[in-house]
Parts: sequence; structure tokens; C-alpha cells
Amino acid sequence: MTAGHDDNLPAKGAGATDAADDARRTSRATGPGRLLIAVYGVFALAATARAAFQIATKFGEAPLAYLLSALAAVVYIVATVSLARPGARAFRVSVVAVTTELVGVVAVGLLSIVDAEAFPSETVWSAFGRGYGFVPLILPILGLLWLRRNGAGRTDD
Amino acid sequence: MDPFFLVGVLVCSVSAVLCVGASLLRQPPNDITILSVAAVELFLLAYSVGAGIRQVTGDPVLGEAWEFWGYLLTALVVPVGAFWWSILDRTRWSNLVLAAAGLTVFVMLFRMEQIWDGVAGL
Repeated sequence: MTAGHDDNLPAKGAGATDAADDARRTSRATGPGRLLIAVYGVFALAATARAAFQIATKFGEAPLAYLLSALAAVVYIVATVSLARPGARAFRVSVVAVTTELVGVVAVGLLSIVDAEAFPSETVWSAFGRGYGFVPLILPILGLLWLRRNGAGRTDD
Repeated sequence: MDPFFLVGVLVCSVSAVLCVGASLLRQPPNDITILSVAAVELFLLAYSVGAGIRQVTGDPVLGEAWEFWGYLLTALVVPVGAFWWSILDRTRWSNLVLAAAGLTVFVMLFRMEQIWDGVAGL
């Protein structure tokens, strides 16, 4: 199990029997993409749980912040699923989702500093994701770089 | 300080370090890294039993009980999910997926201790 670096190359053109296997391992969901999707999955889980908790227990305190919390959760879920799925359509969805995420983290990050009243430092994106080690700010940048490296043309071969 | 917490911090850290190390050595997930993540899962199961015993023997959760158990149930899924996701793609990067499981459980454990001790958050 130590020299496994070459047994992960998919056998190109090995026939239709590999179609299902290829569908599962797109070029976006292998290598660094594997880690990227895993981190997106963790954030989808964390953001969903947090938004659900906030809306269920104290929605009245800061409705705007908690609605943005829920929006962040949806964006992370869509990004995770679309990054993991093959095909040009999933690629386009993931570009939109990751771009929305970048705009969201920058916008909420700025708003949470300018208008701290409306954002009691309680969303994933507050202060550019400081509560999460700034990973929410770095993640969409890495995501877009990864998507650019694996353009739609390369996934449809 | 809860001894369970210290053991958990140790198990999660060792697992994360082993998995990052294996990735740096360009290894796909191997017996050592997979077993280290299994150790994290085993710890979480023991932690669940320990938490249940604490709860019924007069040292209950001071924060929201359902929040604590929600965290714990979610944490139990993390190593399993990471294992499944990593073995489907045998590259060095999959070891970083396994490392992420240890780090995620580490953070969740930290938060679970806060909830148990009634430290306000969220």
C-alpha cells in the first residue's frame, strides 16, 4: 500500500463500463479538489447547523444577520454539491456559487465592521470569517483558482 | 479539566499530524492514516459513553443539552465521511482530507466542552 501513486490514474478509453466510475471521479473531484470539496462540506455542515440554531432560538435579535447566515449555508451546500458533480452544468453552478461566496464574505465582512450593530459577530462571514480562522475568505479564492485550472472543456472529454 | 477532553485533543492532533506527514511524503491513504482516523472515531464513541455517564451521575450539561448532543452526533459522522471520501481517490491529497477530519473533530470537541461547562457562545 505504499507505492500507490500510479494506481489512481483512470484508464482512459477502457470502455463504457468505466462510465459510472468516471462520473464519480471527475477532474474536479480528484487531487487538490478532493480536499477543497471536503473543506466545503465541513463548512456546509457548520453553516447549516449554526443558521438553523440561530433562526430556531433567537431570530428576533438580528434577523438580517441570521438570514445571511442561512444564505451562507445554502451557498456552501450548493458549492459542495456542484464541485463534486461532473459535467459542464455543475461547473457553471459551482462558478456562480463560489463567486457568490466570495462576494458574500467580502460584503458581510465589510458590513460587520462598518455596522457592527446589525452584525453581532455571529455569522460565518462576519469580520471576513475571523471566527473560522479566515478560512471562509481563503476558500472561495482557492475555489475559483481550482475551477479556472479545471475549465469546463477539460471535464467533458 | 475533563480528562476526556485532553485525550481527545491528543488523539485528534496525532491523527492530523500523521495524515499531514503522510501527505507530505506523497502517500495515498494507508493503514496508518486510516487507523489514526479510526482512533478519532473510537475516541468519540468513548466520549459519548463518558458524556452519558456524566449526564446521569450528577454532572449534567450546563449549556443547551440538545446542542451538545447535536454536536456529538455530527462529530461522529465526520471521520466516517472523511474515510469514505478519501478512499475513493487514492492520492496524497486524500490524506489531507483525513487530516481535516481530525482538525474538525478537534474544533468541535473544543466547542462541546464549552457547551458542557455552560460557556456562552454562538
